[in-house]
Amino acid sequence: MKKLSAIVLFLCLAAILFAAGTQEATSLPAAWEAQGTPLADVRIRQALRLAIDMETIVDELFEGMAQRAVAMTSPGSWLADGLDPYSYDPEKAKALLDEAGWPADYTLDVVYYYGDQQTVDLMAIIQQYWATVGVKSSFRKLEGDLAAQLWVPPADRKNGPSEVKWDLAYAAVAALSENEFYDRFESTASNNSSIPWQSGLDEKVQATRATADVEQQKVAFKALQKEINANMYNIPLYHQLSFIYTSDALDIAGSTLGNDQFSFEKNILDWRINRADGTLYTNGGPMEFYEAPTVNPGLYLYQELLFDKLVNADANLTPAEGMLAKNYSVSPDGMQITFELRDDVKWHDGRAFSAKDVVFTLEYLIKTPGLNAVALNTFKSLAGAKEYLDGKASSISGIKVNGNTVTLTFSTLDPNALLTFSQWPILPSHLLAGSNPVTLQQNSFWQKPVGTGPFKVSQTVLGNYAILERNAAYYRSGNGNVKKIFMHASGENDSNLVKNAESGRIDYAWSKSVADAQSIGAIDGMTVNPVNIRYTRVFWVNQYPHPANIK
Amino acid sequence: MVLVAIAAVTNTRGGRFMIPFIIRKVLVLIPMLFVISFLIFLGIELMPGDAVDFMIPPDALATISQADLDLLRAELGLDDPFLVRYGTWIAQVVKGDFGYSLQSGVSVRDLLAQKLPATIELSLAALVISTLLGSLLGVVSALNKGRLGDHVLTVAGMIGVAIPQFLFGLVMIVLVVFQMELLPVGGRMTPGNEAFFQRLDHLILPATVLGLSMTAGVMRYSRASMLDSLSKEFIRTARSKGIPEWRVNLIHGLRVAMTPVAVLIGFRLPILIGGSVVIEQVFQWPGVGQMFVAAVRSQNTPVIMMIAFFSVSIVLVASILVDIATALLDPRVKLS
Repeated sequence: MKKLSAIVLFLCLAAILFAAGTQEATSLPAAWEAQGTPLADVRIRQALRLAIDMETIVDELFEGMAQRAVAMTSPGSWLADGLDPYSYDPEKAKALLDEAGWPADYTLDVVYYYGDQQTVDLMAIIQQYWATVGVKSSFRKLEGDLAAQLWVPPADRKNGPSEVKWDLAYAAVAALSENEFYDRFESTASNNSSIPWQSGLDEKVQATRATADVEQQKVAFKALQKEINANMYNIPLYHQLSFIYTSDALDIAGSTLGNDQFSFEKNILDWRINRADGTLYTNGGPMEFYEAPTVNPGLYLYQELLFDKLVNADANLTPAEGMLAKNYSVSPDGMQITFELRDDVKWHDGRAFSAKDVVFTLEYLIKTPGLNAVALNTFKSLAGAKEYLDGKASSISGIKVNGNTVTLTFSTLDPNALLTFSQWPILPSHLLAGSNPVTLQQNSFWQKPVGTGPFKVSQTVLGNYAILERNAAYYRSGNGNVKKIFMHASGENDSNLVKNAESGRIDYAWSKSVADAQSIGAIDGMTVNPVNIRYTRVFWVNQYPHPANIK
Repeated sequence: MVLVAIAAVTNTRGGRFMIPFIIRKVLVLIPMLFVISFLIFLGIELMPGDAVDFMIPPDALATISQADLDLLRAELGLDDPFLVRYGTWIAQVVKGDFGYSLQSGVSVRDLLAQKLPATIELSLAALVISTLLGSLLGVVSALNKGRLGDHVLTVAGMIGVAIPQFLFGLVMIVLVVFQMELLPVGGRMTPGNEAFFQRLDHLILPATVLGLSMTAGVMRYSRASMLDSLSKEFIRTARSKGIPEWRVNLIHGLRVAMTPVAVLIGFRLPILIGGSVVIEQVFQWPGVGQMFVAAVRSQNTPVIMMIAFFSVSIVLVASILVDIATALLDPRVKLS
């Protein structure tokens, strides 16, 4: 904290000195004026990035528990080589601003929507960094209808004017697939409120979706990353890590830990817990209801353990093997997927699982508002989905059932289809058929959900705890001894996590909080495992013409 | 308090006045509840956003179409004008239907039935602790006015008033749970130990913290009241009659001194419903306070309205009970 204060103090002094040295108003030609905003000039966007010392911020503010970002994509096989890192260079930033004719009296209007102290600190630090290169900025936290304030695109995607009233928006993008990072760069994207149509950009985005071949997808993504990086269409800041906490009482039997925001094979049936009653303690128990797997299908451990998916994903979230589907196959062109379902699966209430449940789930979830874009895109890509949604057909024609075999035929290629079926579970038609898909979460089913997964709901005391017990009728048995899972009630951000860990009542949990990781790391018997996730913090830069918001 | 009220109604001295008094008070309550409910509904309306904005995490909002959000709003009745929504709500309430949680679809009445016992349990335990301890220490302090005991209790009382509940709670958790390992860290019960006496260990710490943090106020109030009472002429008269000192203090002095203390405790009843919010958070106590905070955060109007309605009703009922208790404790007060 002392170091942080020193940085802020240093930056304040630098800003004062800079202001003193630039008393005379410049009258440089404003090259950007015809474009309606200074932010339309790539030099200004680059300067804003060059003026921020993200390395120091990561080291000091996040205590090294984050990664500086050069693109939306985290380092790894999906990230292009040779991207310009825009390393901290205030002199170069000043030169670019001068060259572009930055209006010294312009105040950037920057919005954010997180209220946590770390965000507030980060905003204050960035404000000072910009001040040191002569850019004034004002930060405000948005409240209320965020979608309307942040993501409404202009009617004219090429010339604007902007429909949103900010210069920069600080946001996070949590992505299951790389497409979630990049689809919004397309000029037709429903959430692209800030990046105008650019020659060749749409084609590069579309190329990432044009193939089912992973290697070809990577090539397309890398080409897109280079284009975005060179033009600084948005400003990536850092990749957040997640932290998985395990106790010494737990042996995860060599399983690989992964991105716990989603479901992946943890082999929990093989885990061993050193407690006499075979209880594993975690958090995320329901406060008021079990969360339906729509926008977040695997955020909570119970979502993962109560419900099985057609396909199982590995720790990298790559679809790896059948789950409810004994076997599956994808046609060479990626336009057809065939699932051969298991015939030995029962719902937790004893009813047999069948292909009827699969058809029901697809036709139901496609009508549920709030369904995650990855799943929605898969379902909408099915042949006949449009007719079904328009009410012209009573079912989706692209779904065919033959005994225990379900064949899905797509009208447009969705490279993430298998990913969808590895994350979104199958729901019981016998308990949900006839209910309103629009208000799925409000269905009483979510007070005591019934799935096909390896654990089932045993007891729920809302707001206190819930117990899952091992499903004796599950089609796999495993070598582990975890009989019950005790879940302390909490939301995603659990303010009691550290206390419960300290009292020895957390064996497995995760969070994205650096503060949690630091505190739990200091507890005897607890281990903190940092995990890379697709979660990137960025500034979206409003490049559509708009008047200065702060005058 | 309930016993006091029953005693009051059946009391031969006051019974004549008591029933019309209560009827009059209850009749005044009804329009007050309407006005207050409208103001609360209006307050929620003035908050930015609505319940749908909180159903989908902000990061995910970028991927949800506005049409889908509007569909959800329409289905939940959030797209109607304010007055229509209030009218619908109040019409339901008149029929005894408090609606459904916008988040879970569970009836608000069921939610309250789930959470209220936990809050009442915690609040009553804290009220008993603070009343007994506060009154006792206040009287002891008054009877030892100016001596060391009085000074110690006064300073302790000032600290008790000043220390924030969450800090006190966390300190107690560190000491009692982590250091001494005597009590569980939080929650109301554990599996298999759900009967009252089995889960008493969960209640001790939050009730003690809440109770002790309220004790200081009662203590200071009862001390001042007792000192005031002891300076009255009837006390001197009692002493001059040769009545033993303990009897003068405890029978004559304390009875009158307890009148303002009873008023204070009576007015604390409603505070206990909302006042345990912090303690419920710190001790993971699944009560109304936690539910209320969550409902306000997510703009879950039916839940907020039900809890607010309930709290306001308790305030108003408590004021009646205070009037009755005052009349019973102080012979000079007449309800007419």
